[in-house]
Amino acid sequence: MLVRIWGTRGSYPVARAEMLHYGGNTACVEVRAGAAHIVLDAGTGLRGLGEALRREPVPGGRRIAMLITHTHWDHILGFPFFAPIHEPATELAIYGLQRTQVSLRATINGAVSDPLLPMGLDSLAARLDFFELGDNAQIELAPGVLVRTARANHPYHALAYRIESPAGVVVYVPDTGPFHTVLFGDERVVWDGMPTTCPERLHTLARMREAMVALAAQADWLIYDAQFTPAEYTRFPHWGHSTADQAMEIAEEARVRELILFHHDPHRTDEELAQIERDQQARARPGLHVRAAFEGMVLSRG
Amino acid sequence: MKLQFWGVRGAVPTPGREYLRYGGNTCCTVVTGAGGELVVLDVGTGFCQFGDTLLSGPFGQGRGQMVVLLTHTHWDHILGLPFPAVVHMPGNQLLIYGPERTQDILDVMLAPVYSPVYGLAHMAAAPVFHTITTAPVVVGGLTVRAWPFSHGHGAQIWAYRLEEQERSLVYITDVRYESEVIRQQAVEFARGADLLIHSAPYTCSEQVQNHGHSCIEDAIETALQAGVRRLVFFHHAPERSDDDLDALLEHWRGELRARGASLALDAAAEGPQVEV
Repeated sequence: MLVRIWGTRGSYPVARAEMLHYGGNTACVEVRAGAAHIVLDAGTGLRGLGEALRREPVPGGRRIAMLITHTHWDHILGFPFFAPIHEPATELAIYGLQRTQVSLRATINGAVSDPLLPMGLDSLAARLDFFELGDNAQIELAPGVLVRTARANHPYHALAYRIESPAGVVVYVPDTGPFHTVLFGDERVVWDGMPTTCPERLHTLARMREAMVALAAQADWLIYDAQFTPAEYTRFPHWGHSTADQAMEIAEEARVRELILFHHDPHRTDEELAQIERDQQARARPGLHVRAAFEGMVLSRG
Repeated sequence: MKLQFWGVRGAVPTPGREYLRYGGNTCCTVVTGAGGELVVLDVGTGFCQFGDTLLSGPFGQGRGQMVVLLTHTHWDHILGLPFPAVVHMPGNQLLIYGPERTQDILDVMLAPVYSPVYGLAHMAAAPVFHTITTAPVVVGGLTVRAWPFSHGHGAQIWAYRLEEQERSLVYITDVRYESEVIRQQAVEFARGADLLIHSAPYTCSEQVQNHGHSCIEDAIETALQAGVRRLVFFHHAPERSDDDLDALLEHWRGELRARGASLALDAAAEGPQVEV
């Protein structure tokens, strides 16, 4: 299994000198597992992957599975700039959350059509197929390559993905709040800084947390939302993101091998991220490795 | 009238070492009038960094005022709007001029399926929208004029001209002149300006496909015929590195010298504020 990180940033892409190392492109991670070629999210990092694929042959040819956690802008911004969508040989299978309100295809088509962009999915040369998943789904992408989903705690819902093959397990949770303060769902939540006291919501949160730990169980790599510092978390409406401590709690409970801090806040400089990385490494239980995702990071096993 | 570029890139932001000197954030240009009037031309991702700088001034206390002029509603011109903290602070005033339906389109951009803001109604600095027309708009000591042009593919953009006493600045981006007659309208619109900021992503020979842009050559001819003092290339193509832009500038400055033209030529770069 080979994992390459093309975009690490959350919320919006940032082009700044102070962020060159960890990178300013938004969420995009490539996974090669068995015969499957997988892209997790289509943030602006996707553009770089598209360029790289022009230079490198890929096992499995031009067939790509794109797993979208949710369609907030930072997770789809790279889509129109992914060169393979303009090539007739490309077969792109796009997976995302099933919603009652709107189809995945209509959501993405709306984003890339007038008056927002002069593109539209029908004009693309590549073959696109859309598949909608629930938040407890399991599919086999290629022989021996399993994908499972769980529900992340994020405004208007988001998925988390586990990709499992005999050569390794990677779990991707780029956007989730913790599971003890506030439950995000269809409705807009205005958080006043106090944990919810509603027993039903607390129960739902507890079950979501269990499912998240199960999703991450024994993973080689857990790529997890660590947008906020603890101080920011208490100060701002957190819009469904976690701190590095909260990420580490899940990683330890799930007994993962390495935690990759992800979805960096757009204000976080390289220097600050390096410090967060050192602090978390010092605090991690023996046996758990912790690193912060950077653009160009390669994780491999097998 | 002072000018500061916060985002100069077209289409998609380009974070990376090879884009640092000119910048990789998408379209956002800020003009500050002598009386402190704040006029923001497009709110691509450059608006995020600009918006952060406002926290220390009146915007940080919910007493800020800005006018936003939108050329059109493609991603690279609007996506920065919801991110700065100051747009979520009640009391700040955003007056947004743009094409018809701008308010509806931004509401779609902020819909829950695309944004955790859950719609325009939840931006606390409740923006007020005006559909732009060719009638002049007065912003303190500044006068703003607008003119519609084509972006190709049936889409439209608005060009803006800002004047303050004897100084004038013209901003034409994402334009595709469909005919010479229409390009002559741009010449008239930019006539005698101190500064013409013009999209210039591709040369005629690079432009194999119709991306909805005129060529760099069109920008230069328009500037020369309009008699502007300085032309600034804008909306750099995502694949254009700093070194590429240096080479491009050197080439066209050489061409201008060879023609004996006095037109000054630059490429927009994110950086400090300059006097127009």
